Amino acid sequence: MKILFVKFLPVKVSKYFQLAKITFEEYFVYRLNFFLWRFRSFILFLSLFFFWLAIYGQENNFLGYQKAQMLTYVVGIAFLRSLVLGTRTGDLAGQIRSGELTKLILKPLGVFSFCFVRDLADKFLNLFFVIFEVGLILLIFKFPFYLPKNPATYFFFVVLVTLAFFLYFLINLILSALAFWTEEIWATQWLFGVIFLQFFAGAFFPIDVLPAWLSRIIYLTPFPYLIFFPLKIWLEQLSAAMAVKAIFIGAFWLIFFYWLVSFLWQKGVKNYGAYGG
Amino acid sequence: MAPMAVKTFKVWLKVSLMSAQTQFLTNWAGLLFLVGKVVRFLLFFVFLFTVLSSSGTLAGYNREQVIFFFLVFNLVDIMVQFIFRGVYRFRSLVVSGDYDLDLLKPLPSFFRPLFGWSDILDFVTLIPLWIYVIWFIFNYHLFPSIGSLFLFFLLLINSLFLGFAFHLFVCAICVLTTEIDHLVWVYRDLTNMAKFPTDIYQKGIRYLLTFAIPVVVLITIPAKALLGLLSWQGVMLAFAISGLFFWGSFRLWRYALSQYSSASS
Repeated sequence: MKILFVKFLPVKVSKYFQLAKITFEEYFVYRLNFFLWRFRSFILFLSLFFFWLAIYGQENNFLGYQKAQMLTYVVGIAFLRSLVLGTRTGDLAGQIRSGELTKLILKPLGVFSFCFVRDLADKFLNLFFVIFEVGLILLIFKFPFYLPKNPATYFFFVVLVTLAFFLYFLINLILSALAFWTEEIWATQWLFGVIFLQFFAGAFFPIDVLPAWLSRIIYLTPFPYLIFFPLKIWLEQLSAAMAVKAIFIGAFWLIFFYWLVSFLWQKGVKNYGAYGG
Repeated sequence: MAPMAVKTFKVWLKVSLMSAQTQFLTNWAGLLFLVGKVVRFLLFFVFLFTVLSSSGTLAGYNREQVIFFFLVFNLVDIMVQFIFRGVYRFRSLVVSGDYDLDLLKPLPSFFRPLFGWSDILDFVTLIPLWIYVIWFIFNYHLFPSIGSLFLFFLLLINSLFLGFAFHLFVCAICVLTTEIDHLVWVYRDLTNMAKFPTDIYQKGIRYLLTFAIPVVVLITIPAKALLGLLSWQGVMLAFAISGLFFWGSFRLWRYALSQYSSASS
């Protein structure tokens, strides 16, 4: 049945469908690793959840957030970590350094499409599991989950999350493209793709609980548009005008990074030596 | 026993020096890692300071006490990583079969897996951190008596033994399954739960963190000892749990070695 379904897809779509399928299968080959990866995400969620529960205690308002809003922010982090920050594009840097990129270039696939499809598979799988994990906690603790009252909020949220989805993909491509020039890719990816990105994106806590001067500096970077601003929209802490502004700034970053990826990739490919390939 | 320990320590110094030289060869990466470690510490510190300045307390602890828990977490985490960094490279030794060569050497079988690599960057961050922790303890008069201070250091040593046991356990699992990419990171994430006082968690989770994966013994108990919040039963429990884990990890390690099949040779 599955084979028949693939047969009827156009060749161009079918090969990417197969790629997604292979990516899924890879995860299920190393099942223990995948289980442990999910467990790690769950631990982070639990520690943030209990931290804020303890901070609020019997209070309902703290640092501009109602208790339900803050706990919803923590749930939102878990979802957006899977949906936006789930990725396999970081592997590209290793492929460039090892020379494996050559194999990829020779295949009838676009390099960026290849990465994007693998990203999609990763996001889908992680999202599937996060729904169960977070759903379980919500069922056990029965805390009031914040649902937007204004229908327009859902629209703004979906638009900004979609932008964040592509923005993060482009940021990862840029970090990977640096491998054309430097061997120290792991350090670069760790500093910019993990430390700066996760803190500045609001993937641990809302940025606006930090001192105002620090928040203002962070707002100047593209990172808050990945998690913080989408969740601020969901929590209806941004007016419609502010939400539209956030979407426009997010779109600006997206265009800028698209240009930067094209520029770096064109320069990088000329610098590519296929070491070890 | 003692000459063997001295010899092993000398080998460890030599190996650590060589790994430091390797890291200095890629000084740009080292600098980036160092910046990342400092930024991560500072951002969490600022976050905790800001939140606790507004809330006043967390689970009954005041701001300075909560920050002290955070500092002890960093101390233990970095010390353990500095000493047992080898575990991050062990999988490749097992998968390639190169671990055979280490088993032939006149060193304990766990030497290369655990002590085969030391991260000089951790050592570099440890020095200012220790200075700051000591200043913090004395500046805010966190300990009620000299006995508490002594107990704190004693329990920190106990934490290192427990850290050893954890990492040996991970290495044993690596020999048995070769699928440990994330296992050591699970340990790291669990210790991260003790970044805050573990009293914030529900009773069931606290029991798990005390008896099943004792990060409470690793981080929370030494911090509580210094604050004078630990009963003698708590102290005994910490040593008993560490002893049990130490013994259990060695048993598992011996079993794992008996199953080692030199994967690729």
